[in-house]
Amino acid sequence: MPQMIFVNLPVTDLEKSKAFYEAVGATNNPAFTDDTAACMVVAEGSIHVMLLTHAKWATFTSKTIPDAHTAAQVLLCVSADSRDAVNGQVDKAVAAGGKADPTPTQDHGFMYGRSFEDPDGHIWEVMWMDPTAIPAGEPAEAAA
Amino acid sequence: MSDTPKMIFVNLPVADLARSMAFYEAIGFTNEPRFTDDTAAAMVWSETIFVMILTHDKWKSFTDRPIADSGSSEVSLALALGSKEAVDAMAEAAAKAGGTSDINPVQDHGFMYGRDILDPDGHVWGPFWMDPAVANGEAPVPETAA
Repeated sequence: MPQMIFVNLPVTDLEKSKAFYEAVGATNNPAFTDDTAACMVVAEGSIHVMLLTHAKWATFTSKTIPDAHTAAQVLLCVSADSRDAVNGQVDKAVAAGGKADPTPTQDHGFMYGRSFEDPDGHIWEVMWMDPTAIPAGEPAEAAA
Repeated sequence: MSDTPKMIFVNLPVADLARSMAFYEAIGFTNEPRFTDDTAAAMVWSETIFVMILTHDKWKSFTDRPIADSGSSEVSLALALGSKEAVDAMAEAAAKAGGTSDINPVQDHGFMYGRDILDPDGHVWGPFWMDPAVANGEAPVPETAA
């Protein structure tokens, strides 16, 4: 069975957030979507984002929702295939109503990262790393 | 298209790096020493899913946003496991390793079973099992899920 993660995020406007995540490259899975939650597939079979209305969120936890524009508990980072792909994804986020570069651009030559904010302030970093620059094989191989 | 699978790195601020490393190892992650030092540790779930635990000082080098209070929750992270027993095992391991299990009611819908846990810093994880036939779309999502 493939390893899957579902990143659950509270959102104030489900339709707006669905449109935003589609604009930055995710695909909606209608089987797990209704008017309280939307399943957005970032990588089929492994990485998913579940967008939840605040009302739906409250059915899962009594914890309050912090304003992600002013505080953060997580920085979510996804890999990209090239520097151009990193820039392209940030551009798409901006075109779709997100905000570019809430965290500093990281440019280390072999590694390049930028970030964007979704409409609720959740931060996503997009990172490219030169595969040939990773010492002693990929982390996944070392973990196997 | 790329032949490199997309990877996700979930970066979480933690108050005590050694304590959190031990916690994540206890619930089934593996430390990757090549991406670990005394400010951050890479914890591997799969070849595409990683958690980076960061000291508060390291966190501040990435963002000037303050860390939201642990009584609040910006995100909950759900991991699909292979069986109900694996879900129970993770919840029990979390409680033994300095976390908190069952912060929310156990979700048992027959085709889906989940328990929610907290890490030592209050980050929410939700190990769950789903009937593969439903997960793969070969069987409909039962109405009871709503």
